[in-house]
Amino acid sequence: MSAGPYNYSYIFKYIIIGDMGVGKSCLLHQFTEKKFMADCPHTIGVEFGTRIIEVSGQKIKLQIWDTAGQERFRAVTRSYYRGAAGALMVYDITRRSTYNHLSSWLTDTRNLTNPSTVIFLIGNKCDLEGQRDVTYEEASKFAEENGLMFVEASAKTGDNVEEAFLETAKKIYQSIQDGRLDLNAAESGVQHKPSQPGGRPGTAAGGDQPGRDNCAC
Amino acid sequence: MADVLSETVLPDDLKKFEKIYHEQLYKNDVTPKAQFEYAWCLVRSKYPADIQKGIILLEELYKTHEEGQRDYLYYLAIGSARLKEYSKAMNYVRSFLTIEPGNQQVLSLQQTIKKKMEKEGLVGMAMAGGVVLAVGAIVGVGMAIANKAK
Repeated sequence: MSAGPYNYSYIFKYIIIGDMGVGKSCLLHQFTEKKFMADCPHTIGVEFGTRIIEVSGQKIKLQIWDTAGQERFRAVTRSYYRGAAGALMVYDITRRSTYNHLSSWLTDTRNLTNPSTVIFLIGNKCDLEGQRDVTYEEASKFAEENGLMFVEASAKTGDNVEEAFLETAKKIYQSIQDGRLDLNAAESGVQHKPSQPGGRPGTAAGGDQPGRDNCAC
Repeated sequence: MADVLSETVLPDDLKKFEKIYHEQLYKNDVTPKAQFEYAWCLVRSKYPADIQKGIILLEELYKTHEEGQRDYLYYLAIGSARLKEYSKAMNYVRSFLTIEPGNQQVLSLQQTIKKKMEKEGLVGMAMAGGVVLAVGAIVGVGMAIANKAK
């Protein structure tokens, strides 16, 4: 096929969740475009981004679903949680209310994803130290108690943004290596791109592999 | 490839929001929220008839509920693009961008639609090429048979 060979061995599905205005889309944009998007308008429904990264010499394509934070989208965006291998849960360190809502975001995530889903907590806007409303220690403790990975990051300066996305991927990759994540499970959120024939692991993100039936040869 | 134009709604989700909408319709009291949620699922269906229905619901919302107009425009563009009505989809995108010129999400949708159009253009050409080859093969076989018969 003229689309060319796959130059990555895995696809990981991510979701980004959290209250409105915490900077979810800006984090995604900083990660995929390496640019800060000032005056970011409210996301409509869900946005999508991809980037190919490398973990332990393996190329991995991240398919990232960035959900709208506004309440009116909540009911439908929940359906995007299914089959996520990684969930980035974001709050704004300068707005305490966004931190207080984390337990409800976490409950949703746990209910709608699977036990092997890696949940990474991001305290965004750490460049605004003067306006800080949530201490690092407090959030760090929350993360530890709930078994989450955690960093404070800034979509504006780019601090720790790369790290959050990459560390999540490393953790997922490790789960695959350890056999804790079943690639054949329908909702693992991981798709192995087989260069060898025969392998066709199912995933919720699947059903979109190029078919052979429309081959013109 | 997964993107906003190719991902599809799960049948269970579609049913869930359909039920809420119909319950409200029965009581003659449909909220914009229920109508939008149902329409949003419909335009992500794999069946064109569903997408069409979603577009009708969104058009109605667009005319009657000013508050959510940007959401409706965005999903009207997606629905139209999924039905391969590209000029309509591009019109929705353009009207959105006249109001919010720098909106990254909509600019990226515009790119995705353009890519899809290009891809389908190429696929169309490849299929035409295949037909030419097939016709050539049939003519060839026919000539071979004719030669044998001599």
